[in-house]
Amino acid sequence: MVLLSRRALLRRVGGGVGTAVAGGAVALAGAAGAEAAEVRQAPADAVGMLYDATKCIGCKACVAECSKVNGLAPDTAPSNGLWQMPVDLDVHTKNVIKLYADPATGETSYVKRQCMHCVDPSCVSACPFNALHKGDLGIVEWDGTRCIGCRYCEVACPFEIPKFEWNQFNPKIVKCELCRHVLDRDGQPGCTRVCPTGAVIFGRRDGLLAEAKQRVAARPGVYHEDRVYGEREAGGTQVLYLSRVPFEKLGLPALSDRALPAGTRHGGGFLGKFVALPIVLYVVFLRFFRRNWRVHEEEVARLKAERGLEEQL
Amino acid sequence: MATSAARSVPLPAPRRVAQEGVINRWQRGVPVHEVRVVTPWFLFLVGLFVVGTVLGLARLLGGALGPFTAMTDAYAWGVWKTFNVMALTALGSGALAVGLASWVLGRHHLHTVMRTALVTSFLFYATGLLGLLTDVGRPWNFWNILLPWRWNTESALWEVSFAMPVYCALFLLYENGPMVVERLWSSKNDRIRGWVRMWHPRIRKTYPFVVAGAYVAPILHQSSLGALMVLAGHKVHPLWQTDMLPILYLVQALVCGFGAVIVVVMSSCLVWRRPLDVKVLGELADLMSFTTIAWLVLRLGDVIVRGRLGDAFAMDRWGVLFLLETTAVAIPAVVMRFARMRATPRAVFGMAMLACVAGIAYRFIPTTLAYAPGEGSTYFPAVPEVLITMGLVAIVVGVFSIAVKRFAVLPAPLESWYHSVEHDRRLSAASRSDAHGHADHD
Repeated sequence: MVLLSRRALLRRVGGGVGTAVAGGAVALAGAAGAEAAEVRQAPADAVGMLYDATKCIGCKACVAECSKVNGLAPDTAPSNGLWQMPVDLDVHTKNVIKLYADPATGETSYVKRQCMHCVDPSCVSACPFNALHKGDLGIVEWDGTRCIGCRYCEVACPFEIPKFEWNQFNPKIVKCELCRHVLDRDGQPGCTRVCPTGAVIFGRRDGLLAEAKQRVAARPGVYHEDRVYGEREAGGTQVLYLSRVPFEKLGLPALSDRALPAGTRHGGGFLGKFVALPIVLYVVFLRFFRRNWRVHEEEVARLKAERGLEEQL
Repeated sequence: MATSAARSVPLPAPRRVAQEGVINRWQRGVPVHEVRVVTPWFLFLVGLFVVGTVLGLARLLGGALGPFTAMTDAYAWGVWKTFNVMALTALGSGALAVGLASWVLGRHHLHTVMRTALVTSFLFYATGLLGLLTDVGRPWNFWNILLPWRWNTESALWEVSFAMPVYCALFLLYENGPMVVERLWSSKNDRIRGWVRMWHPRIRKTYPFVVAGAYVAPILHQSSLGALMVLAGHKVHPLWQTDMLPILYLVQALVCGFGAVIVVVMSSCLVWRRPLDVKVLGELADLMSFTTIAWLVLRLGDVIVRGRLGDAFAMDRWGVLFLLETTAVAIPAVVMRFARMRATPRAVFGMAMLACVAGIAYRFIPTTLAYAPGEGSTYFPAVPEVLITMGLVAIVVGVFSIAVKRFAVLPAPLESWYHSVEHDRRLSAASRSDAHGHADHD
């Protein structure tokens, strides 16, 4: 029988524990990696809007109503204070109608811009404290008590939607939240309620998608590429677009079908990234560190004996 | 420790020390003594610091970001994040790079530059965090960090805002601790000495266990800094946008870590007239070169695998930028492969400088020059923004210059150590003979 000193025994046990912990962590990472890169689907009750640019007459009733319902001061600066005339989304404007016109071909189209309420939003994935999050009905909501004002949502949003109050104390992130504060009362957002031509309508996302596809099927060749923008773009959005004019010309970027957050999730999730990986690295580093620590101690003892110098860590 | 050693052992004969010095010039951290802290340069740094601090406080107390910055909704991140946090903390990765090399890979010669790396890293991280504080619009909501159920662990920025303060305030302070404790030991106050006597063995006992963790933390958040831009998707030019960004940022941090330690330690030796240790510098340059080659393999491999090599030779501004950047990264790697170049301090210094500049450029470009959030929007930092950034850099340089004069940071030959101990002894003798205890020696 071999007698071990207490220290040697501890070291052996410690080594075994370290190996076991590292092995367990690797297994954990493997399990976590298996559920990697999940593709998210819209919730069953997800609501959204369908905007059909061929029906829009550019009356901007939706813009005025949006300001009213959301208590935003009308942006009159571009018209020298005469009337509400926002040129783009900003902290006073959650919803805007813009005109695309190509003088060469005479091609024109209106486009309505507001938050797309992505199925798997980049802004939500980016937000460090879940200030932006998917709420009821799949609406992307902002919670001011959690927002640190880092503006990562602005960097992450492929549609350039969230706006930041640069000139305010305690600045807010401003963007369309589908009038969630009046949905119970009105049953729909301000913009769809006042639209005189039905260019923008509100409803369940699956119903709107079916409606859009029906319109495309009824008038083949009219809509750009015979397809619905937002069905698959960036993993799908809850606001859908139909247009004669190519979507990119309306400022709707050509995006891959893969939601950007899905690409960043394949690191193995929380367990892999913040539990398994650190444990494995720690165990490995510690093993080598302690080996070199012994070399260091010999060196320290030598220095002390030969020169009387204390160690310097 | 320091003084007790000197007290118990007589000074060795100078010739013996000199001989030893030839073998290995850097043996020990030694304070820069007989040099004043307050110099004209230092006052210039204090000036920058004051301007930056006043502006920073005005920005924080005023609350609004607009009046102080040129940022817009399109360019929502300015130099405070993209330069102070995302680029400059690469220079603060010396503690990680040199620590891994010396403690984990067993390059024992490098222990002599470890303190320089630790002080530099702490300062770059601390000022990076100050930059982050100045940058965010609602800093008071940081209390959410205390509520785990509010964390979005999927967010790279959560990881950065959680791990960077922890790394800086726990690990880097702990690692810098022995240097301070050593200094306290030379105090004449018995209570302080008793405190040191109690804590020193505890630090020694926990040292490997804590410091191994100090290498895990930066590996996580330096890669998260790269992950930040992945979510920006198509807004970042395809030559830079890749899922490999986290790994590329991490490896680049190691390159910059080695480079920054070379630059800092060599310029300090130049300024405060210390001999160089060609062997240690050569080893650092060697590691820097190897890490850079690994980075180049990853970088070019990634561009080729994604089929974007054509963009590099498109001769548009991004292609040219890519070629310039890659060349600037590659030159130090190639030059430092030659042993003769590694033995030439001038070459080592120049190449380390170039590596740092190129590394910072690589980490800065995806957020600025190669970032295109939409037509018509531009960003160039506003004057207050730049002044605050300069104030933060002034803190790094200024506090470093104080630290090396008050603590045993910079490496030196043994004879300097004895010289410094002798200097200390003269100082305390002078203060004892002076009734008011004021000896004006800086």
